Amino acid sequence: MAMAMAALRREGRRVLLSTPSPAAAMAAHSPAASQSQIAPLGARSISTQIVRNRMKSVKNIQKITKAMKMVAASKLRAVQTRTENSRGLWQPFTALLGDAPSVNVKKNVIVAITSDKGLCGGINSTSVKVSKALQKMTSGPEKESKYVILGEKGKVQLIRDSRKHIEMTVSELQKNPINYTQVAVLADDILKNVEYDAIRVVFNKFQSVISFRPTLATILSPEVMEKESESGGKVGELDSYEIEGGETKSEILQNLTEFQFSCVMYNAVLENACSELGARMSAMDSSSRNAGEMLDRLTLTYNRTRQASITTELTEIISGASALEG
Amino acid sequence: MSAVTAAVPFWRAAGMTYIGYSNVCAALVRSCLKEPFKTELSSREKVHFSLSKWTDEKQQKPTVRTDEE
Repeated sequence: MAMAMAALRREGRRVLLSTPSPAAAMAAHSPAASQSQIAPLGARSISTQIVRNRMKSVKNIQKITKAMKMVAASKLRAVQTRTENSRGLWQPFTALLGDAPSVNVKKNVIVAITSDKGLCGGINSTSVKVSKALQKMTSGPEKESKYVILGEKGKVQLIRDSRKHIEMTVSELQKNPINYTQVAVLADDILKNVEYDAIRVVFNKFQSVISFRPTLATILSPEVMEKESESGGKVGELDSYEIEGGETKSEILQNLTEFQFSCVMYNAVLENACSELGARMSAMDSSSRNAGEMLDRLTLTYNRTRQASITTELTEIISGASALEG
Repeated sequence: MSAVTAAVPFWRAAGMTYIGYSNVCAALVRSCLKEPFKTELSSREKVHFSLSKWTDEKQQKPTVRTDEE
């Protein structure tokens, strides 16, 4: 009934406004202006424009995340094969020289491998977290520990509080498909520019599309390696091999550790790239699912509001008509 | 065998690491391949990354290592 009254009042105002006298028009205008602040002229229901725009943007976002998932999935297959093949490069080294993650030396270099691009879940923050913990463990009053960071995302995260420990940063590594030559040139550059007793490579080892493990690989300098072998570690087994040529043991160890570093780096970079793609795939999968859920909710709200406004209009018309009849 | 033994100190003395030495050797072997294989494997020699050193908590100008002109 109240709605019908309002409709009638609106009708009455239109009559008043159409009067020829300007003074009367002015007088009639002022209450009309105050009324229009409560409800704008001709506005009957809530505007659905905003909801419609939001639905459109959510739909577009979903399209993008779906496309990113497809791209990551198609890239992953090739990288995964290369990664699994590259594992054969470092395994013999670990069998021969062993792995010594707990070695206590003066100059530590932490190579943190991260990605250049984001939107790939938590792989960069895990590798940064592990690097930071490692840095705390390996630095002390007589020891020091520096960072070499691969990838933009790790750099951005480590700059905030570990700026003074950064020695070198590398990016744009994944512009072309990763190959051994490229990583070897990089490993060469790192070896030439950094003084170290032990290099610790931190990366995400690829387990499956949905799981990756932060992993640490340790490479010792030839001198430390020799000391370790004298103290009877696993390296002692090197003596039981027959060696061609006349090189001394220290020369062989130097060559071996350098080659070990480049092989470990190659594998680490590939494992991390593979984990990145896998993480991006699952992240994009869940975000397109979330976008779908959001779209469903929005569609529901939109349709309910539309239904409600139609019902209101119908009620208005019917009650208006019955008021006129009665 | 003696040639190899004599060669070892030379590349080391020239400031090369074993990685650099083995890379040069690998490139040499690759360049010996015949045509269909040669172009197939040329992608394995593409190098591209940008490296920047840090001194006094500041990033220095990055040097880009690339073989694409």
